[in-house]
Amino acid sequence: MINAIIGIGYNHRGLEKACESRNYIQDLYIIERVCGICSHIHSTAFCMSIETLTGVTVSKRAEYIRVVVAELERLHSHLLWLGIAFHEIGFDTMFMYTWRNREKVLNLLATIGGNRVNYGVNTFGGVRRDFDETINAEILSTVDLLEEEIKSYLHLALTESTLAVRLVGVGKLSHEDAIKFGAVGPVARAAGIAEDMRVIEPFGAYKDFPLHVATDQGADVYGKTVVRILEMQESLRMIRLCIKNLPDGPLTVRVPRRVPAGEVLTRVEAPRGENIHYVRSNGTDMPDRVRVRAPSQANWHGMQHMLQGGNLADVPITIAAIDPCYSCTDRAIIIHSENETKLTDWRKLRQYSIDWYKKQGVDCSTLKL
Amino acid sequence: MMESEEKIVQILCERFPFLQGRIAARKAKRIFSDALSKDEFMQIVAFIHDELNFRRGHLVVGTDEGDNLGLLYVLSNPEFILLNLRESVPKANPVVTTLSDLYPSLMMHERELVSLFGVIVEGLPKGISYPLPDGWPEGNYPMRKEWNPDYFNRNTLAYDPPQEKEEQK
Amino acid sequence: MDFIQKAIQWGTGKSPWIIHFNAGACNGCDIETIDALTPRYDLERIGITKQGSPRHADVLVCTGAVTLQTKERLIQIYDQMSEPKFVIAIGTCACTGGVFDGCYSVIGGMDSVIPVDMYLPGCSVRPETILNAIDKLLHGSADVKNAAINKIDLGGAHDGE
Repeated sequence: MINAIIGIGYNHRGLEKACESRNYIQDLYIIERVCGICSHIHSTAFCMSIETLTGVTVSKRAEYIRVVVAELERLHSHLLWLGIAFHEIGFDTMFMYTWRNREKVLNLLATIGGNRVNYGVNTFGGVRRDFDETINAEILSTVDLLEEEIKSYLHLALTESTLAVRLVGVGKLSHEDAIKFGAVGPVARAAGIAEDMRVIEPFGAYKDFPLHVATDQGADVYGKTVVRILEMQESLRMIRLCIKNLPDGPLTVRVPRRVPAGEVLTRVEAPRGENIHYVRSNGTDMPDRVRVRAPSQANWHGMQHMLQGGNLADVPITIAAIDPCYSCTDRAIIIHSENETKLTDWRKLRQYSIDWYKKQGVDCSTLKL
Repeated sequence: MMESEEKIVQILCERFPFLQGRIAARKAKRIFSDALSKDEFMQIVAFIHDELNFRRGHLVVGTDEGDNLGLLYVLSNPEFILLNLRESVPKANPVVTTLSDLYPSLMMHERELVSLFGVIVEGLPKGISYPLPDGWPEGNYPMRKEWNPDYFNRNTLAYDPPQEKEEQK
Repeated sequence: MDFIQKAIQWGTGKSPWIIHFNAGACNGCDIETIDALTPRYDLERIGITKQGSPRHADVLVCTGAVTLQTKERLIQIYDQMSEPKFVIAIGTCACTGGVFDGCYSVIGGMDSVIPVDMYLPGCSVRPETILNAIDKLLHGSADVKNAAINKIDLGGAHDGE
């Protein structure tokens, strides 16, 4: 791999403009669907922005529930990533195992929120769903089951030599480059940057129970794998603490329909990294400006450097290692340098192949695409 | 707990007297500035990067302020304090200088401003336009307030506002 | 001709191979589609497998509200599939555009771009629904299957497909 240019934008829907012509409640549904894998954290950030702008304080119970669902989301997202990463390196057995375990987390999320994806737990001023004794018991027993499974993944990652050979040194993004290119989340933590929004801007249970931030110095895909597995273990610990110390209190507090004028930047830790929401209000019930900077958008900048110098076969796992939300994943156009550098897109590539075959005496130009 | 933020504001105001009263630490880890002109903004950027150690660029938020376009640059230092500087340029001539040499992570956000707001970023390296689709009609900047998606035909990619709106503009 | 039609009818309906395409989705439905292939729902035990090329696939499983950028690619993928082919629109966004209907870069549901045989509403669609849909499509309604088979042009010279 000599170089790559990132060409993304296939999923651009124009939802920031749509948010400006809908009221805040309608926008909550749009924001939750920015991403299907980390929907809860997006809606949490949006709700927190509105709560800051309106000066409302959410009850502790609601904050703890938000934390539990956020950690469950982190678990299912990291298990998803682990499965996809194993699939990219050809280890389909573990892909099936990790996704089977992921089903346990999705069962929990469905029990709590009513849906496996887009759980709709948040509302302005708190949460819409409550935990009772049955749910608490189910969460704790699932967490016990998952703990054993995740321990085995860690054991696999640390002792399986084929995994190490395949992943060590691949997709390196050094500490300096990670800062320069603004990498966030496990990508930055694998490069030794101990940055986690749950520690820097904590809310709810993150304030009461300090989190251990997992870092690695390897700055490669292997480091990212280990960091994510350690984060899963930390999530299990956090969920247990929250359930065992769940405070009493109301689920929601009233939030005015018209949000006073102001602007706010909210930062939360999505499974993929730092998620920033910017909301500007103008005193009406519709926002003036909503900007969502998802973590995947930040991690793409370093992609060129991670791909350079590697093998073509390493491209899928390197791209997968930043855990791109498929919503932002698209093709990378590769520049081949012979005597000159050529920039090709699919149309030019197709024409190149037609011309090449013509020289061999075969005319493929009439082939329907 | 706001000592670092207050200190940064103080250093900036001493070094650049035109910032007096126009920059404040609103709460923990958030320093916001009022709208700065392009010249004022470019004066302080190098100092912020080199001396104050704000070396991470997170994003640039484009806003439509009516006659002006606002660009909110969100930068952070090793203490994770967010410094939010607002640069304001007239909509009729929205020219800014790129910060992508100091902050490579802002390059894609600057490209976004070019497509969605029509900002002209001098010095931005050549690259694929982001995020609008291929074939997007020139001169259409969707995030400007006056651009209404109801008048946009998604099949022909033509923007046809009704006549009265045209005359008002 | 009748015999060939009958043969095709007999051939389709078992082990359809699917190709999955994200035409601008939030990934919720995509993950649920891939979930259908994992051990809990396990589409592979009934012979359904996910292919990488549209030329190897019988069923196009598509998610997401079609964005301006993906419209052309979606049409191409549909054209590259050989007859008989079926299209399933997964999720509310693929059916009608969902919450994103009206956004400036969204055209709408899939049927504004390619013909759709089956609509699965939901946000997101559960994997059991996807299993049920593929089953209904191929074993349930004879009209849908016959319509797809009748589209095949069996007369005349090959047109290079």
